[in-house]
Amino acid sequence: MSARHPLVAGVRAGDRRALSRAITLVESRRGDDSEQAAALLAELYPATGRALRVGVTGAPGVGKSTLLDALGMQAVAAGGRVGVLSIDPSSQLRGGSLLGDRVRMARLSSSDAAFIRASPSGGASGGLGPRTREALVLLEAAGFDPIFVESVGVGQGELAVTEVCDLVMVVQIGGAGDEVQGMKRGLLEHADLVVFNKADGPQAAATERAARELASLLEWMRPGQSRVELVSALEGRGIDGLYRALLEERARLTESGELRERRRAQRRSWLSQALEELVIARQSRDPELDRARRELERAVEEGELAPPLAARQLLEPDKASSTSGGA
Amino acid sequence: MTQPDDAETRWRALVQSETRGRFADTARTPAGLEVKALYTAQDLEGVAHLDSVPGEAPFVRGVRATMYATRPWTLRQYAGFSTPEETNAFFRRALKAGQRGLSVAFDLPTHRGYDSDDPRVKGDVGKAGVAVSSVEDMKLVFDGIPLAEVSVSMTMNGAVLPVLAAFIVTAEEQGVGLEQLSGTIQNDILKEFMVRNTFIYPPEPSMRIVADVMELVSQKLPRYNSISISGYHMQEAGASAELELGYTLADGLAYASAGVARGLDPDAVLGTLSFFFGVGLDFFGEIAKLRAARLLWAELVKERFAPKNPRSLSLRTHCQTSGVSLTAQDPLNNVVRTTLEALSAVLGGTQSLHTNAYDEALALPGERSARVARNTQLILQHETGIPKVVDPLAGSYYVERLTHDLAASARQLVLEVEAHGGMTRAIEQRIPQRRIAQAAAERQARIDRSEELVIGVNAFRVPDEPEPELLVVDTARVLEAQSARLARVRKNRDENRVQALLAALEAGARGSENLLTLSIEAMRARATVGEVSLALERAFGRHNEVSMATTGVFSKAYAGDAEWSAVVELLRRVSEREGRQPRILIAKLGQDGHDRGAKVVAAGLSDLGFDVELGPLFQSPEQAARHALESDVHFVGVSTQAGAHLVLVPELLDELRKLGAGGVRVVVGGIISAPDRAALEARGVSAVFGPGAPILEIARQLLELFEGVPEAGSA
Ligand SMILES: Nc1nc2c(ncn2[C@@H]2O[C@H](COP(=O)(O)OP(=O)(O)O)[C@@H](O)[C@H]2O)c(=O)[nH]1
Ligand SMILES: [Mg+2]
Repeated sequence: MSARHPLVAGVRAGDRRALSRAITLVESRRGDDSEQAAALLAELYPATGRALRVGVTGAPGVGKSTLLDALGMQAVAAGGRVGVLSIDPSSQLRGGSLLGDRVRMARLSSSDAAFIRASPSGGASGGLGPRTREALVLLEAAGFDPIFVESVGVGQGELAVTEVCDLVMVVQIGGAGDEVQGMKRGLLEHADLVVFNKADGPQAAATERAARELASLLEWMRPGQSRVELVSALEGRGIDGLYRALLEERARLTESGELRERRRAQRRSWLSQALEELVIARQSRDPELDRARRELERAVEEGELAPPLAARQLLEPDKASSTSGGA
Repeated sequence: MTQPDDAETRWRALVQSETRGRFADTARTPAGLEVKALYTAQDLEGVAHLDSVPGEAPFVRGVRATMYATRPWTLRQYAGFSTPEETNAFFRRALKAGQRGLSVAFDLPTHRGYDSDDPRVKGDVGKAGVAVSSVEDMKLVFDGIPLAEVSVSMTMNGAVLPVLAAFIVTAEEQGVGLEQLSGTIQNDILKEFMVRNTFIYPPEPSMRIVADVMELVSQKLPRYNSISISGYHMQEAGASAELELGYTLADGLAYASAGVARGLDPDAVLGTLSFFFGVGLDFFGEIAKLRAARLLWAELVKERFAPKNPRSLSLRTHCQTSGVSLTAQDPLNNVVRTTLEALSAVLGGTQSLHTNAYDEALALPGERSARVARNTQLILQHETGIPKVVDPLAGSYYVERLTHDLAASARQLVLEVEAHGGMTRAIEQRIPQRRIAQAAAERQARIDRSEELVIGVNAFRVPDEPEPELLVVDTARVLEAQSARLARVRKNRDENRVQALLAALEAGARGSENLLTLSIEAMRARATVGEVSLALERAFGRHNEVSMATTGVFSKAYAGDAEWSAVVELLRRVSEREGRQPRILIAKLGQDGHDRGAKVVAAGLSDLGFDVELGPLFQSPEQAARHALESDVHFVGVSTQAGAHLVLVPELLDELRKLGAGGVRVVVGGIISAPDRAALEARGVSAVFGPGAPILEIARQLLELFEGVPEAGSA
């Protein structure tokens, strides 16, 4: 077995600097970094998989970050060490982003029992960054539990928050009148908890009404399965109730075996993704294959060759030639 | 109606032959106004205000019939010099030198409701204005100045209660009756949430405080303006003339409504409101803006409040020449800029005026620059003949049309705000903030690209210019004197009585008593600014606003630009080598809330491809260091406008080192004098940028701090 990665001890000891560097390492796009990152994960991974991981999603501006500050402090008060990964959707196509979530987490960002890291989503449409899973492992290895992941989407397809978290909290605001009907189906399907935020000031009544309507709709759709909570993150109202609901929800999922099932599925999908990445990386590292690919690319671009067929020709030339003859 | 050979048609024919068709007949002015190259009588069609006369509603031609022909505008210079004693000395000299009214600038801790000896504010004490922590400080500021005769305006918003209370108690103890006091307190909290960020409490209780002040002032201080509704800071934050006008009047309507909702008589409320506009270099645009402000205000007030007294429709305003138009480079040019702006304000019909000193882009004004600033106005009053004729530009096709158009487009903004449920709500939804930040970024991009020339900055630069003499604030000395005086105040007062009055204030804040009345009692018993603010904070909470910036403006403005592409390419090579985008934390340290520069730089760098973390306002060096550490940034960029950098930046460097993040490069941008720059560099700061440094220049210098980045072409 290879020597210990120099960051292992620091991360395990909960050293902020080591953890921060380690996240940079796993997020790095450099080839040599990715080998180091693999070594680091190999050592840290076995001791993880127990921390509570909560996805927090919802449209920009609904108050996710503000809510995390309040909820995080509640967890800290209960003895937790809170990790936050916030994935910012503002990333621009070419790279570059403006990360402002931490600004709304004033208390958490100066609490000794918390660690906050913002990452650009890198344009991934599922709303997560490409290395959120790895970062979660690191945070957990550094002793953070619970860990919250803030992101805008829960969609299907690309890596989404449902694939990395034990349970998902969807944050909503009321007031527009048609939020229940307008709410995305996908959102509801994935929500373990629906949180109506900003139940304060002039919009309090409308928010409460929206929450009530949704609760009865959900009860009809999936009896006893999703909970609706009403909070004001700004004024700190309903936060203790929400925190309790979170723990109860986890207990329920654990008891029913659902949590175990989710995690197994998540690990399977991580494996598939890792395989894909590795194959692609291997292909681009091999100069011969890379040249062959660029040649095939031209035929693919012109529509002369079907892309799946091109992939086969590249990686399984033997089989591809026999199928192409038959087509 | 128009003949085939009307003026415009004849002119167009001439233009055609003069330019062979190569002529754009519209242009954009610096304040963002769309203008035509020629205005004719035709442009006056549909302009309804032409027949009005000065002194008569809608007052577009001036609030008084004779304007400056009988009484010139009030020369009112804003000043505050660290200690109460120095400020007092400055005021006395200024009064002797022809100044008619005083205007007090307070330091940032006072604005934010902290006493000078509060450990949170040690870098900010005495910077950008005078420190006032108790009645004793206020008495020193006005020592020997007859408050019954001199009108005093005070720029105070967040800590309006203890500071106005201290002023009132000072007058009492001078033996001056409250009914004799004249002047203005700014008390314009809405624009603080919008642009300037020196608020303390959340919007709702803040609006209550505004109304409490209006109420007491309208009852007890008949000659005093309880509020100065300010567009100035919007312009400074990058707002166009239209945005400044629309949002300022919308703020005015919000305050008037708040007063009327208190059950105050509309005429009494409207009579205590005054305005404060910035005047920049858009010469005619600014004249038209002031005329349009009066026109539109008269219309809006009439529609909404139907006051009985026709004077209630008049908008009275103070003006200040633009601070952002000043340059650190070749600073004597600022005398010329300020003169032109002052002329705009006068031709626009202002009631009082502050002219900036030429060295204000570098530091607080020195004695000589302050004299030149004052004399600029005295020359306009006495040597030019301009004041002898009322509203001399009336009837100008151009100015009248612009007045009309500006009023119309500002009205749209007012209506939009009302459609969002009023200004408080619009601010909560960040509508004005977003618009202003966008306008600021667009303006900066135009200057960076030399589409707008700024002499001495992006054109006609002076090589190796000498440094002007600057006023240096010795913070340690100010802090010591303030702390000693505070200790005396606390020792000599009746402690039980003070605590009882503070408790009553807190109870009043939870209830509905007038908070200015309660604050006066507490301050009279020698409670401090910090204690009164804290009592209110216990009831209201402290507001923590968040800076937002808009992305996309720079990449759009620079689309296809070669220099931009070169920096993007350099960045690509750096990020390839680093395995990630270069990452920077843009931090605002201390109590300084001016964040236009921080937002513009954040927007520009993120457009170029940096990952930019925006820190919260009022961050301590310790918090910023931790933020930098957890985000594993390459750089911390500290934006500073208020001069606390010599204390706060070295602390940041120490904190970073303490956390093992000494490798993070610290750069500083903002108003920084040459000696300060040298001191910062000696402490380990990697780069220092002046105000308005072009984004591309900042980005390039940052990227060059990465060592061993491969040359172009070798990647
Ligand atoms: N009135 C009210 N405003 C809130 C509440 N929570 C957040 N906000 C405000 O909503 C805006 C967006 O909040 P933020 O946490 O950044 O939302 P995110 O984009 O979902 O993370 C900010 O101005 C917050 O101050 C709440 O409970 N009540
Ligand atoms: Mg957020």
